[in-house]
Amino acid sequence: MKRLLIILLMSVGITLCATAQEGLRINEVFEGHVVSKQFIQESLVKGDNLAPYNLKVLHTAKCVANNKERTTIEQLFEEDMKERISDDNSNMEMESRDGHLYYAIVQLKNGARGTHRYICYQCRDRSSHYDITLVYMEGKASLADLRRTFKKK
Amino acid sequence: MNKETNIRELLRRYMEGESTQAELRLLKEYFDSEQDLPEDLRAFAQMFAIIDEEMPTPSAEALDRFSSPLKENRRSFRLWPLLAAACIAAFAFIILMPPEEENMAIAYVDGKMLNNEVQAMQMGQEALQEIFSNGNQEQQLSELFNEP
Repeated sequence: MKRLLIILLMSVGITLCATAQEGLRINEVFEGHVVSKQFIQESLVKGDNLAPYNLKVLHTAKCVANNKERTTIEQLFEEDMKERISDDNSNMEMESRDGHLYYAIVQLKNGARGTHRYICYQCRDRSSHYDITLVYMEGKASLADLRRTFKKK
Repeated sequence: MNKETNIRELLRRYMEGESTQAELRLLKEYFDSEQDLPEDLRAFAQMFAIIDEEMPTPSAEALDRFSSPLKENRRSFRLWPLLAAACIAAFAFIILMPPEEENMAIAYVDGKMLNNEVQAMQMGQEALQEIFSNGNQEQQLSELFNEP
């Protein structure tokens, strides 16, 4: 019975690890726990629509944040950054000014099925508030592929 | 005469396989000691002369030895390895099989959910373009310098 329980718990653990965005701290932002959902423009796309980009999941959130909210989002993002795949420039880009994060694209450790996972952050200072964009992506696309596809010419 | 009848009855029981150890002992004693046997019983005398001792009763130890392989077999057939194998196979199937692609495209604007595929895709693409163009630095610079 004890052995059976251990096996079941292990199996449940594996299954939970396999779910995509689970365990990320920035989920709090997507769920509206930091900035009210009312002030978030969010999109969640999964499946066939993303096939041309070689992605499986694209979750974006744009919000208007005050200074306190911005700091919280920044901290949550930095917590998730600890799960990055490496410090190599090919897997990570970031820009900080005056002790604050303004821009970051980070490749996280691969998902359970070997898919690449990315989190992105951008903060634009609007003097009275901040426009923050958060993105979670998952798929086979490399960072170089994504840059080629989405970088404005 | 009475004794002979009794012996015949015991012989009948012996031949039917119904006699007890005690009855067998009686038969053996009878055929060992009796010299003047009727004609039809002499063959039995020879037969009982061959049987030296009563059938040995197996000892408790022997019985244990006899039954232990069965016990071990029963013990080794446990359910948990089968259950474990079934669990592992089921989860391996779930994890290794490519999942059916779940198609979803939802947008939330002003706290309202819009089941609009086009809008969701557009919002996602815009966010990615903005990120990968590093906030469209040129736009940021123009915004910065044009601010009153």
